[in-house]
Amino acid sequence: MNRMETSKPIGGVWVFGDYRNYFQNRVTLQLIAKGKELAGKLDTKITVILLGEQIHQFAMEYVAHGADVVMAAEHPELKEYDVETYATVLSRWVEAFKPEILLAGATSFGREFFPRLAKRLRTGLSADCVELEMDPESCLLIQTTPAFGGDLLADVVTPNHRPQMATVHPGVFRELPHNAEAVGRIVYPDVGPLPDPRVRVVRSRRQRTRNVNVEDAPVVIAGGRGLGSKRSFDMLFELAELLEGEVGATRPAILAGWAEEERLLGQTGKTVKAKLVISIGTSGALQYTTGIQGAETVIAINRDPHAPIFRIADLGLIGDATVLVPMLLEALRKRL
Amino acid sequence: MYEPVPIKAMDIVVCIKQVPDVPSIRMDRQRMTIIREGVESIINPLDCVALEAAFGLRDKEGGRVVVITMGPPQSEQALREGLALGADQAILLSDPLFAGADTLATSHVLARAISKIDPLPDLILCGMHTIDSDTGHVGPQIAEELDLPQVCGVNEIHMDGDSLVVKRLSDGFLETARVTMPALLTVTHALCIVRDLPLASLERAFSKSEIMRWGLEDLGLNADEVGLMGSANRVSRLHPPTPKRQGELVDGDPQALLDRLLRKLEALSILDEQDGNE
Amino acid sequence: MNLEPTMKQSVIRRSVRKFAEDKLAPVTAEMERTGKFPWEIARQMSRLQYFGLEIPSEYGGAGLDSVSCAMVIEEISRVNAAVGLCLSVHNSVSAYPIYRFGNECHKERFLYPLASGEKIGTFCLTEPNAGSDASSLETTGVRDGDEFVLNGNKIFVTNGGISGINLVFAVTPGAGNSKRFNVFVAESERDGLEKGPPEELMGMRGNPICPISFHDCRVPLDNLLGEEGEGLKIALSTLSGGRLGIAAQSLGIAQASLDTSLKYAKERHQFGRPICEFGAIQAFLADMGTRVEAARLLVYRASFLKDQCVDHVKESAMAKLFASELAVDAARMGLQIHGGYGYTKAYPIERFYRDAKVCEIYEGTSEIQRMIISRSLMRQ
Repeated sequence: MNRMETSKPIGGVWVFGDYRNYFQNRVTLQLIAKGKELAGKLDTKITVILLGEQIHQFAMEYVAHGADVVMAAEHPELKEYDVETYATVLSRWVEAFKPEILLAGATSFGREFFPRLAKRLRTGLSADCVELEMDPESCLLIQTTPAFGGDLLADVVTPNHRPQMATVHPGVFRELPHNAEAVGRIVYPDVGPLPDPRVRVVRSRRQRTRNVNVEDAPVVIAGGRGLGSKRSFDMLFELAELLEGEVGATRPAILAGWAEEERLLGQTGKTVKAKLVISIGTSGALQYTTGIQGAETVIAINRDPHAPIFRIADLGLIGDATVLVPMLLEALRKRL
Repeated sequence: MYEPVPIKAMDIVVCIKQVPDVPSIRMDRQRMTIIREGVESIINPLDCVALEAAFGLRDKEGGRVVVITMGPPQSEQALREGLALGADQAILLSDPLFAGADTLATSHVLARAISKIDPLPDLILCGMHTIDSDTGHVGPQIAEELDLPQVCGVNEIHMDGDSLVVKRLSDGFLETARVTMPALLTVTHALCIVRDLPLASLERAFSKSEIMRWGLEDLGLNADEVGLMGSANRVSRLHPPTPKRQGELVDGDPQALLDRLLRKLEALSILDEQDGNE
Repeated sequence: MNLEPTMKQSVIRRSVRKFAEDKLAPVTAEMERTGKFPWEIARQMSRLQYFGLEIPSEYGGAGLDSVSCAMVIEEISRVNAAVGLCLSVHNSVSAYPIYRFGNECHKERFLYPLASGEKIGTFCLTEPNAGSDASSLETTGVRDGDEFVLNGNKIFVTNGGISGINLVFAVTPGAGNSKRFNVFVAESERDGLEKGPPEELMGMRGNPICPISFHDCRVPLDNLLGEEGEGLKIALSTLSGGRLGIAAQSLGIAQASLDTSLKYAKERHQFGRPICEFGAIQAFLADMGTRVEAARLLVYRASFLKDQCVDHVKESAMAKLFASELAVDAARMGLQIHGGYGYTKAYPIERFYRDAKVCEIYEGTSEIQRMIISRSLMRQ
C-alpha cells in the first residue's frame, strides 16, 4: 500500500504534458496555470512532464506559460503516445521524485492513460474534474467531479495515498498569457528500459471535421430541446450569423437530429470561453452548463421560470423562444 | 461441403455494472437531493454494448461469454439480464466488505475474480464508462493488474489470427491498432446495436439459470484490500453546483423581453446603442 | 401481502416498455394515418415471443406467468392500443385455448405457428344476431363423414384481416331441439372461409377487424377443439382469460392518457402560469392518478390469482369493468386538459379517446361484467 511519507515531497505539482493537437488543445497550459496556483499554496514548484521526440518546442511553450520545471525525455520509442510505455516512464519518475499532485487533461489519451498509471502507483484518481482547490485545513486537494449524470458535484479527496491524481476537463481553467521572458529549468531524467509496445497503431488519420469551431467563437448561440422543432432550431443559425458567432447545441437537441455532434456543448462536448453565450430553450443540466459557464456573459431564454439555466445566467428572460427569437431576428436585421 | 473449423474459440469475460437509470433521475430542487424512488436499476448501457460485441465474436469464432459484476446482492438482476441477452455463465462478486470501493478497489476485486475463471479469458470487454460514475477507470485498472494490453473507446473489433484489430477515435484521430491477446478493450456505442430482450430467454434466465457467487474468502482477499478500506479516494461531500452569477430574471410580454435583451446586447457592445433615431 | 413485482417481472416490464417506446412508437402515427397493420413490427415482436406469452417454450412461446403477460399487454397498449389488442386477443383467446384444450396433434399443428408469430390467431364468436347473447348464435358445424361443415357469419373478428388460424364458436344441432356448442379450428386458407373488408371503426386503427363468413367450409374432425359439446365451457373459460388482457390494455390506455396530460399540464402556460397550478386541472390529474392506481391493483391482483390457480372470475370482471371505464374517463379528462390542441391530431390524446371507447364493449360489455360481478357477490 502506498502511504504518504511525512517528509516534504520533492516533486511538487506535476502536470502531464499532453501536446498532441497543440495549438487547439490547450489543456496543458490551463493546468500549468492552475497547478502553479496549487504549487504556490504548497510552497513548491510546478513541473510539466514531456515525453516524446522533438519536444523541445513544447518545453519552451510550457515555460513561457508558467512552468517552473520541465522534465523531458527525448526518445524515438516515446514518439507515439502509448499507454504502457508512458506509464512505465512516469511511474519510475514518480517513485523517484515523489510529487504531491499529478494532473492531466481529460483528453481521450489522458482518460485512458492516467487510470493505468494510478493503478500502477496504487493511488487514487478522479476523472474529468471541474474544480480543484486546496482544503486550507487538511491541505488535501479537493477534486470536484460531476456525479449522477451531472446534476450534482462530488468532492473527492485522497487522504492517505500519493500522488493525488486527477484528470481535468479542458476549458475549466484559464491559461496564463505567453511570457517570452519567463524562466524555467528543463531537465532530462533517465527513462530507463522501455517495454515493447503491445498495442501497435497501424493507421492513424485525422477525423475530418466540418469547419465548425464553436470553442473559439466570440458569440455562441446555444439551442436546446425547448425550441421544439428543427425549424425553430434553424433560426439560431441566422441569429449566429447576424451576431458573428457560432451555433452550439445540447445533447438532446443533437439526438433529435437538429445539429451535428461537432456543435455539442458540455461535459462530453465543447467548452466555450466566448464573450457572450445566448442559451435558448435549454433547461440547464450540469452536463451542458459546464460547457458554457466559462463565458463572460450568459443570457438565457426559457419558458420555465424554475429552469436551472437561470441560475448560471447573467440575464434570464422567461418567455417562449419560438416567439422571442423571430422578434429578435427582425430587430437585428433592421439594425445590422 | 466441409464445416469450417474455427481457428480459436474465444473465451470472453464481460464486466458489467448495475446502475440507476440516470436519465430518469430527478433532482428535488427544494431539498437539493436526488429523488431515488421510481428510478429503476439497469445494466450500464455501454456494458450492454460490450455484451453484444462479445456475442458477435463468440458466434463467429466459437467460445463462451462469462458476465461478471461486483455489487450488492440485487446486482443479480443485471447478471440475469446478461444471461437473457445471451451470456453463457454469470458470476456475482458480492460481500458487505466490498462496499464503498473506489475504482482502485473495484478493479482489484474484479481482476482477482477474473484470474480465477477457468479457462482464463482471451478477451475482457468493458463499457467505456458508466452513466453514474463516468470515470472510465475500471477497465484500464483491471488491465494493469492483470498485465494486459488495453485499448479504450473501441468502435470496431475484428479477429486476425491471434490478434485483434480494433478501431477507435481518440483526440480527433481515427486509429486502427493491432493488439495481441489476451487483452482488454473498452467499447463505445458506435460498436454495435444492442438486441431486444426475448421474453423466453428472460423467463429462462430468471427461473432456471444458476449464478455463481463469490465473496471475500472465495477470492482469497483480505478486508483491507477491498471496499472502503481498500480505496485511496473517498467522496467527502455531494453538493449542487454553486451559482456563480447573480442573475437578473425578467418576465413579461415578448416586446418587453425583447427590449431588455436588445439593451443588454448594446451594453455588451455587440450592438451599437440606439438613440431612437436610426 | 407483497404487492411488489418480482425482479423478473420488473425486467420484463422494462424491456417491453423499451421496445414499445423505441420501435413501436415511431410507426404509430403512420399506422393511424394508413390503417395498415405494421408487419415489420410484428415480425420483430414474434422474434421476442410476444405472440406466445403464456405458451411454454417447448412450443415456441415465452412461458410467462399471468402478471408478466398483463405487463406486456399494458406496456404495448400504452404506446399503441391497436397492437396491444392484436397481442391480447391472439394470446389469450386464440393461442391459449389451444394450449389448454388441444391435444398434442392440435399443439403441433396450431400452437407452434401461433406462439412463434408465424400465424396470427382469432376467436370468431360474435354474429349479427349474437353479441352479448352468445348462445343465440347461428353458425353451425355439422358432422359429415370425417369432416365438419361450417356455415355462418361471424363479425367483428379482431385480427381477422391478418389471421392464419381462426377458432370458430359454432353450434352442432342434435336430436330434437338439442344443440351442442363446439369450438373448431379453421385455417384461413380453407375453402369456404371468406374474409370481408375490415370495418371502418372509430378507433383501433391498424387492427383489421373484419367479418369472416363460412360457406360449406369443411374442416377435418381433428380440428374440433376438446370434446364434442365442450364448446361453451371452452368459450367461457377463454373469454374469462381474454377479459384480463383487455383490462391490461385499458390500463395501458389510461396510463398513457395520464402521462401525456401531466406533461402537457406542466408545459402549457396560461394566465402567466403553467396550467398544472390551477385547481381544476389538479382535480382532473388527481382523479386520473387515483383511479389508474386502483385499476392497476385490480388488474394485477386478478392476474396474480390466476397464477395461483385460484378462482378469479369476479376479480377479472371487476378489473375489466373498472379499467375500461377508466380508460374512457381518463381519455376524456385528458383531452379536456389539452384543450383545443387535444382535439387536433398533433397530440395523441384524441387517439386515446377514440381507442378507449370499445374497451367498454368488447370482450364482454360493461353491462355483462356487472351481471357477472353481481352474481358472484350474491353467491357469497
